[in-house]
Order: sequence, then structure tokens, then C-alpha cells
Amino acid sequence: MQPDDTLLHLEAVQKRFGGLVVLNNIDIAIGANELIGLIGPNGAGKSTLFNVITALYTPTQGRIRFRGRDITGTAPHRICRLGIARTFQLVRTFLTMTAFENIMVGAVYGSGGRVRHATSAAQDALELVGLSAKRDIRTAHMTLSDRRLLEIARAVASSPALLLLDEPMAGLNPTEIQRMVDVIRRVRAEKGVSILWVEHKVDAIMKVCSRVIVLDHGEKIADGTPREIVANRKVIEAYLGEPAA
Amino acid sequence: MLKQALPQRAWTAIAIVAVIALALVPLLPGAVDSYAFSFLFFVFLYAIMAQGWNLVAGFGGQISLGNHAFFGLGAYTTAILWTGNYLWGSLYDSHPDIYYFDPVTMTLGGLVAAVAAIIIGLPLLSKLRGDYFALGTLGFGEIVKVMFINGGDFTGGAFGVVAPAGTFDTLLPHYLVGLGLMAGVGVAIRLLMRSRYGLALIAVRDDEMAASANGIDVLKVKVSAFAGSAFIAGVAGSLYTYYIFHVGPDSVFDLDWMLLPLMMTVVGGTGTLLGPILGALVMYAVFDLAKIVVPDYHPVISGLTIILAMLFLPKGLMRSFAGRARAA
Repeated sequence: MQPDDTLLHLEAVQKRFGGLVVLNNIDIAIGANELIGLIGPNGAGKSTLFNVITALYTPTQGRIRFRGRDITGTAPHRICRLGIARTFQLVRTFLTMTAFENIMVGAVYGSGGRVRHATSAAQDALELVGLSAKRDIRTAHMTLSDRRLLEIARAVASSPALLLLDEPMAGLNPTEIQRMVDVIRRVRAEKGVSILWVEHKVDAIMKVCSRVIVLDHGEKIADGTPREIVANRKVIEAYLGEPAA
Repeated sequence: MLKQALPQRAWTAIAIVAVIALALVPLLPGAVDSYAFSFLFFVFLYAIMAQGWNLVAGFGGQISLGNHAFFGLGAYTTAILWTGNYLWGSLYDSHPDIYYFDPVTMTLGGLVAAVAAIIIGLPLLSKLRGDYFALGTLGFGEIVKVMFINGGDFTGGAFGVVAPAGTFDTLLPHYLVGLGLMAGVGVAIRLLMRSRYGLALIAVRDDEMAASANGIDVLKVKVSAFAGSAFIAGVAGSLYTYYIFHVGPDSVFDLDWMLLPLMMTVVGGTGTLLGPILGALVMYAVFDLAKIVVPDYHPVISGLTIILAMLFLPKGLMRSFAGRARAA
């Protein structure tokens, strides 16, 4: 990857909670229009990594660069305006708002001036995830699957360069999962964003992503194509345990 | 905000007709000197306070228990500017009524409260959430009251400040200004909630973390709503000074100036536009009636009404009648 092509650069990032090291010495470079899967066993530090990138946590050590600019310690709302949008593992929509109003928040406040016409951007995002028919339904009355799609639409409406998806398939049934895979592919193809995608459903990641990063106990243990990852000894050990003797 | 259902248009029409009708009341013979006239003035005053509280707590989700302090700050600002003649200099000699319902003095009453809200809101709202913010604002109210008691000649100490009561003629200006402010605040909040700011305010109320992850400066939104709420309370305090003239720490910093508007808003419908007004009308009628009919037990009747309202109309009068639970 060319250095000038790098969107996000994590340099030796460490996050400690008291004596507990949750992320240690993480180096990751993400280029333009990539679709990267981020996997790892429970407690590997995947969500913490998202929270560090989006500034909900400040890293104890290391630097985070976005388009060459040091964004370590920047406020969360500024991170979004710079072009990093995210969704949450426990889906977070504005429950008293309609679907359209939810997306308007992303278009109006999240875009940092990139979106000229918020209403049409919101409408586009709604269509992209296939929720146009539910435009005026209050989020409190929507299914989990629709709320997850809505969160993606809200993030897309802010016109990000990088989209972080935190387990968008958790709690969805097989039909909904297929729909989600289609949406993620469409977002990448039509919006030209890079996507970093945390997922427990490893098979989905392996099928869709061209690059996979594996975390275990806060360390990056592998980074490569799905084919390389499934053959990686450290990854097999992390998921299945060390072979006896 | 963006979608309008028919019932809301009906409510808007009712509100406009009601304001026009109320504005015509003084033309009725004997109306200005009637008890009902002063009753309505107090309904307007409490409705303004309730609207102010509803802005930060109902729409913004930040429960302020310090709005009585902002009311008192507005009242004191008005009385001090007036008695000390800090504003109009020699004009005061030629126009002895210049401070009476002076828009500049009233605006300054609101501004002093708003500035106090920004000063106290920045540290409180950046560090405290939910119940802790509520307790912080309650503490702020007590601190302000003590400061005014110990303010020496400037604040008149425990006795307070007495404005020139000789300017009082009839209750007509109080009534009209109160009605105008109530309507004006209602229109302003409606416009605000339909603007981009309203979108951010609801987003912050619904989910702070999602709001900030989607580009909203949460602290800025919260502090500005708190300041807006304080401004409204400060102007209401200013209006009260023109009625009571004697501004003392026990009267204008009384917790009732926070608690009653809070109850009225909750009964009327938190986070609705007309709820605080409806709640002020209904609850003030209950309070007043109880005071007249059963003076020894009136707090019991008032308390019972609130308990019953919470049991049977937990979403407030507005949402129960309008059918559709929708903010703004």
C-alpha cells in the first residue's frame, strides 16, 4: 500500500484500564475503499479498538492518524465530522425520532460540511439500505434488523471516508444476515468508503472481505487475506486452543 | 418535527384562538379588577416557567432543579437595576416609569440568568449526568440564595430590595405582557424544535453517545438548552418583580418556583409544546381552589392531584388527549 493512500493509521496503540492491558502495541493501516474484517475471540479488544478510534477512549500510548493528520485525543463529534462514522454493537438509534429524522442527524451534523443538501443525502442513505418505505416510522417501533440498517444509513449520510461497523449481524436471522451482507457490499461499492467490520460470524467475514485482521488478548496476531488467515497457526490456536503436547 | 399530523394542526389552531380570546378578555367590563384576571396572570407566569423547564428537561432530557435560582436572578436584576438606576441615568428623573415593564431591563434579567447558567452549566454538564446533574443544579440554587442573603447593601441582605411600588396602576400590563411572553416563548420553542437545533436536542436526549458519534457537540447543545431555559426563567422573574415589588431571598428563590412548574409540565406532558401551558392552567386551578376551599389541607389536595395524574395520565394531558405521542 502506498503511504499517501493510507486513510487511517494506528501506530503502536495501547489502551490500559488500570493494570489491565486491553490493547497492546496495535499497528494497523487502512487504505481507501477497503473492506476489512476484524475478528477475534470474546474480550480480544475489538470493541475497545473501535472506541479508541472514535475517541470514546483515549489511548494510553500510541498515535492515531487519519489522512496523515494526528487525531489522537480529538473529541468524538469532530472525529465523525472528519469522516469516520460508526455503528454500535448494542444498536443506538434515537428512539423518539422517525427513521428519516435519525438519518438527518448524520447528514446535518456528522458531515462536517461535506453534505450540501442534507435532505437528499438522507433520502439516498435511506434508499441505499432499503428502508424508504419506513421513512416516517418511529425507531422505537422498528425491528432490530431495521434499526441496524438504520444505524448504517445514518452513518452513511454523514458521507464518511471510513465506516466502522460493530457486529452489524448480531441477533439477526439468516435472511436478515443476507440482506445485511448485500447492504455492506452496496455501501462500499456505491459510496467508495472503507469499511472496518467487527463480526463474530467468521464465515461471513471470510466470504465477503478481502482482508482480515485478527485480535487476541489485545494483540494483533494476524493481518492478511482470508486464505492466509485460515491457515495461520496463531489464529487456529486463538480460536481452538493450543494443541495438546 | 418534520412530519405533521392533522391533530397537531388542530392544536395549533386551538392555541391561536385561545391566545386571541385571552387578549380580548380585558375589554370585558369589570374584567381587569376581577379575581379571574389575577388568576390568569399567575397561570401565564407559571406557564412561562414551565415552558422554560420543559425546554431543558422535556426536550433536552437534562433535569434541572435550579430554575428557581434563575427566576430569582431575573427578579433581583430587575429590582437592583431599577432601585439603583443603573441603566437610564437622568432619563429616570424625567420619566419615573422608565423601568416599569422596560424591555431592556427585562431582557437583562433574562441575560443575567442565562450567563449564570452557562457559567454553572459548563462544569456541571461536562462532568455530571442524570440525577447528579439534577442535584448539582439544586445545590447551585441554594448557593445563589445564600449569596444574595449575604450580598450586603447591593442585594439588601435577608430583607431584599424594594422597587418603587408607586408605579403600580392596574394589573393590565402584567396580564398582557404575561400573555405575550407565554405566546412568544411558545412560538420560539416551536420554531426552535423544528430547526436543526431541535434535531440535535432530541438526539442528545435520546442517546448521548450516538449523538456525539454522529457529529453533535453534546456539551454545547446541553449548555445552550440550559441557558435558554434560564433566560426564560429570568424574564419570568423580571415580570414577577413588577407585580410583587419587594424582591427578597425567601420569596423569589423559593423552591416552589422550580417545583410547581416542574409538576405542571409533568402533568401537562413533558417534551410537548402545549403540555406546560395546559399543565399550568390545570394545576394552578387545583392549587388555587384548594387554597380557597380547604386552606388547611391544600398541599394534600395538590399532592393528591399530582399522584392521580401520574397514575392515570403518566404521559401527561397533552399526549393522552392528542393520542399520538410525539415531541414538538
